[in-house]
Amino acid sequence: MAINSILCIEDDRFIGEMYVRSLHKAGYVVDWVVDGNDGLIAARNKPYDLILLDVMLPERRGTEILDSLRGGSEDLIPNTKVIVLTNFEQDDESRTAMQQHADAYLIKAEITPRKLIEVIQQLDTV
Amino acid sequence: MAVKADSRLIRDFLPKLRQTAVLRVIAWQLLIAILLSAGLILTSTLPIGSITLWSIIGAVFVISASLNITTVIYTTRPARDLLAAIINVAGEPTTSTPPNPNDKRFARSGLNRALQTIYELAGREDGQQPAIVDDTAVDQARDNSDPLKSALDDSTCGFVVLGHDRSISYHNKPAPVRTNQDNIQTLSLLFNGADTIDAWLDECEQHAVHAERIWTRIPDRLPDEEGRRFFDVIASYDKGSAHETVLTLVDRTSVYEVGEQELDFIAFAAHELRGPITVIRGYLDVLEDELGSTLQDDQRELFRRLTVSANRLSGYINNILNTSRYDRRHLKVHLNEDTLSGIYETIRDDMELRASSQNRILSVSLPTDLPTIAADRASISEVLGNLIDNAIKYSNEGGAINVTAAVKGDFVEVSVQDFGIGMPGNVVSNLFQKFYRSHRSRETVAGTGIGLYISKGIIESHGGTISVRSEEGRGSTFTAALPIYSTVAAKLQSGDNSNEGLIEHGNGWIKNHSMYRG
Repeated sequence: MAINSILCIEDDRFIGEMYVRSLHKAGYVVDWVVDGNDGLIAARNKPYDLILLDVMLPERRGTEILDSLRGGSEDLIPNTKVIVLTNFEQDDESRTAMQQHADAYLIKAEITPRKLIEVIQQLDTV
Repeated sequence: MAVKADSRLIRDFLPKLRQTAVLRVIAWQLLIAILLSAGLILTSTLPIGSITLWSIIGAVFVISASLNITTVIYTTRPARDLLAAIINVAGEPTTSTPPNPNDKRFARSGLNRALQTIYELAGREDGQQPAIVDDTAVDQARDNSDPLKSALDDSTCGFVVLGHDRSISYHNKPAPVRTNQDNIQTLSLLFNGADTIDAWLDECEQHAVHAERIWTRIPDRLPDEEGRRFFDVIASYDKGSAHETVLTLVDRTSVYEVGEQELDFIAFAAHELRGPITVIRGYLDVLEDELGSTLQDDQRELFRRLTVSANRLSGYINNILNTSRYDRRHLKVHLNEDTLSGIYETIRDDMELRASSQNRILSVSLPTDLPTIAADRASISEVLGNLIDNAIKYSNEGGAINVTAAVKGDFVEVSVQDFGIGMPGNVVSNLFQKFYRSHRSRETVAGTGIGLYISKGIIESHGGTISVRSEEGRGSTFTAALPIYSTVAAKLQSGDNSNEGLIEHGNGWIKNHSMYRG
């Protein structure tokens, strides 16, 4: 299953635009939302191939979004991959919890758009 | 003791003194008797042949001599008692029982205070009560030491005395000492990495007779535990003494707690810095990608310099974040089976760009057949980045930097060698301290002085070591040794409770490493 459609949940305009711009250029179809509530609604209503999820979000945190999508008995997005992107240093517990439900967990400051695309391509081959 | 070796015993002193005194008394009495008889004869009071003369002279001599000798014995009696006490305290072989300060005659003469003082002085030096036979005396001795004991217990300082086997022989109340189920007391202090009191004592036992050492900002518990206290630990070691190690723990919680909040602030500020860095690095990436074909060579070089600088900034922020975590004992390394070349691969582009933009020739040769190591990928790549960054900083334009690796015992050693300015020996020993910068580098090279400090912290949290060989003007070689995975795998797996092959060892590792077991 090739990754084509991507949902980017990111409240920082500069960072959001940066990802959208380079992902567009790389041929992906990207929807971008800036708040946590919209993010959760979008994720549940449209079957994306990949979700880029920030942690510190207005309205609803990334941890909560991931928990409502994958934390219950049923995985609501079985065909979607999730990459958590954050600059926020979480405590170990919530970090481990997120890592269990995500396909990748990356520090934004360490990841340039080029590297992000490499990671997405890696996920694609898995 | 600094007194010259003397084979004479204290107990021999008094008999000798008495002997001399008696001889003198007899001599004086003889003289008086002679003078008396001469006077009597010369004044013709009594004829030289009369029996009366010799009877009087003889009687005077015998009576006054015996009276004087009795006086000598009487006046030296306190000396006898004091000496008996001293002999007993000094541990000389003796059959006499030590005088009891509560004896009525001592109370009457007032000597009891003097005896008590001797016992107290001895008790203070030896840490044990004098061997007083009488029960009431023991009670009184205890009563008299109570003020000291309760004063120590009321003190904010902790005092701990360790014997030769490092077991705790005394501790006052404020000392951070735990007693486990087997009733064994242990000192509960979380030292920084491998720099523990045990390590220091190991060294002392081998090389020192007297030694002192101070550790600052040593907590007794982990950050989230309640009632956490911070100590400055002052240790003095005296080889062969019954109380070989004495620890004074100054409670500095009020001072360091503020520092803790500052560290929180540093961590917070560093997170804030990550946002703009993400944007700078990202947009540089985007721009280079989009403008690549239209840029001239010199403009492309400017872009590369921007990228290198942004990458370095990001590395320094990681250093600051990790240092603040490490200082709060919050640094966690997640040990996984990994290869050195795999770890280097994650920073290869960055390092090559850094070296080439500053005209250094970086050659990395990591053998592919090295055994796997137990490593936290992000942390070790940070260490490698720091070492290579330093090599670039402290070498000259066009200089070579060699990164090599080899197996040594249970460890894989990775070395970063440069041929730059190097360091004299006195600098090398301080190199891994926080904020340490060599005198010369302070003037010529910018830096914070935390790169090597946190590198050491990270490597030691892995159970490894970091070292440096350097020659002034010739260059330096930094070597980090990391445990081979198979040598620690069993230990790691037994201690972890995580899943999915993720072998975690956070605080537990650090904590156990530093826990002092008496």
